[in-house]
Amino acid sequence: MTVKVKFGYVSVLPETEVVTKFVEELKNNRLTGTRCKKCGKKHLPPRAHCTCGSGEIEWFEAPKQGKLLTYTIVVSPPESMTKQAPYIIALAELDEGSRLLAHITDVTQKNLKLGMRLQVVPRQIDADRIAYGFKPL
Amino acid sequence: MNTRVGIVGIGHARFGKRTDATIRELAHEAVAPALEDAGNCADEIDAVVVGVASDEFAAQASSAAVINDYVGMAGKPVFRVEAACATGSAAVRTGWALVESGLAQVVLVIGAETMTPVGSARAQELMARAGDTRWEYPFGVTFPSSYALMATAHMHEYGTTREQLSMVSVKNHKYGALNPHAHLQKEVTLEESMKSPIICHPLNLYDCCPISDGAAAIVMANEEKARKLNDTPVWLTALDAASGEMMMSERPDLTSIKASRTAAEQAYKTANITPNDIDVALVHDCFTIAEIIAYEDMGFCKKGEGGKLVQEGQTQIGGKIPVNIDGGLKAKGHPLGATGVSMAVEIARQLRGEAGPRQVNNAEIGLSHNVGETGQYCFVHIYTR
Repeated sequence: MTVKVKFGYVSVLPETEVVTKFVEELKNNRLTGTRCKKCGKKHLPPRAHCTCGSGEIEWFEAPKQGKLLTYTIVVSPPESMTKQAPYIIALAELDEGSRLLAHITDVTQKNLKLGMRLQVVPRQIDADRIAYGFKPL
Repeated sequence: MNTRVGIVGIGHARFGKRTDATIRELAHEAVAPALEDAGNCADEIDAVVVGVASDEFAAQASSAAVINDYVGMAGKPVFRVEAACATGSAAVRTGWALVESGLAQVVLVIGAETMTPVGSARAQELMARAGDTRWEYPFGVTFPSSYALMATAHMHEYGTTREQLSMVSVKNHKYGALNPHAHLQKEVTLEESMKSPIICHPLNLYDCCPISDGAAAIVMANEEKARKLNDTPVWLTALDAASGEMMMSERPDLTSIKASRTAAEQAYKTANITPNDIDVALVHDCFTIAEIIAYEDMGFCKKGEGGKLVQEGQTQIGGKIPVNIDGGLKAKGHPLGATGVSMAVEIARQLRGEAGPRQVNNAEIGLSHNVGETGQYCFVHIYTR
């Protein structure tokens, strides 16, 4: 039996169909989002339903390159993330316009510069957990 | 508009680490003086609105029922309102709507929260779950970290400095020291504030509001009743609200809170005034950067000039626009459900001229600004005397 892979360092929600499909693609190094068939709005990370109310969605593959918009270094974590701290949370804008929040690694505080080029990478946290992350390009 | 709605009674519990009181007892500490202030009008209350943000903090589900009973209101219609950190303002706006619509003539609005019984890491955890639990909570996003993302962006884009952030802290502690209901009644120096331990870079401990217990209450009434119950009603002139996207990654602007701007623009329009007409303001300073952004979003200065405004002393008493002269969330404390009601209490005090050593001279028009989470909810209220 295959173990259902969960998204994120911690999670409190069940892995729904849309998350399971997203995670499967991420395992293969593909970053995917959903596009509303009715109004065309793109959602990355994906949603099962569009904000326009439509449930008709199709998947698209997003580029994995972008730039750093802002960041913070979390020294005082929530209870569930004590083992991970300190960690750097970054917001990036991908080349197709979507924005994504994730941890950035392989960088020192001194080298962090807003606007720097970033690469989205899958990050295997443990056997049954995966997330996306950023590293400098 | 059917009627003017006036605040006729105000009451405030002492904010702080209140291991001596439960949520119901804190509510009593605020409600008893509010009812007395409103001419002992308990029998005339038509409805009760209770703002409590979190069941987990209080270890009490459905807190409105227990609070309503304890303050002697059993039998009256009661319900609970929740809007995260803006819960109190949501309760005020709901009470106002009941009176304004004619459904009630006199309403008791209570905001209360007990937060200190859980530890700091647990409190961060509970509040983090108010964020997007699907895509952002899984990365350990907390409230300080979300505001730190805004701080980094604001410092980069506008040159806002570490020192300017700390100046907000120094100012609010100065006024908190003059407020007998404040959690942190002590002044801090600029150096202490700048050198305190980092929580989420660039925000340090003294950039963050404390975790507090507390309660506040107001009685409001329609114009006819208001004039009978209190000689100096403070009028709720414009109450506006807006909401925002759930995820930080969906924010159109990382150096401004769009819902704040929308609510403020609407409130100024409803009251037919401009930001220059405000004599005293309480803004949502859960973190120092939040106060600087609020100056800009409320229109007290141009975008990007919030740091300069505090540095020039323009937001102190005697300056262009005194802000958070009760200590703000930063020094007074931020018991989530109580905060918005506490803002209404302080503005009423200021407009009545009863604020003692922290009184703004001849304050006639006041504003309160209360943000839920990081802009998912926002309330801007304008009060006149």
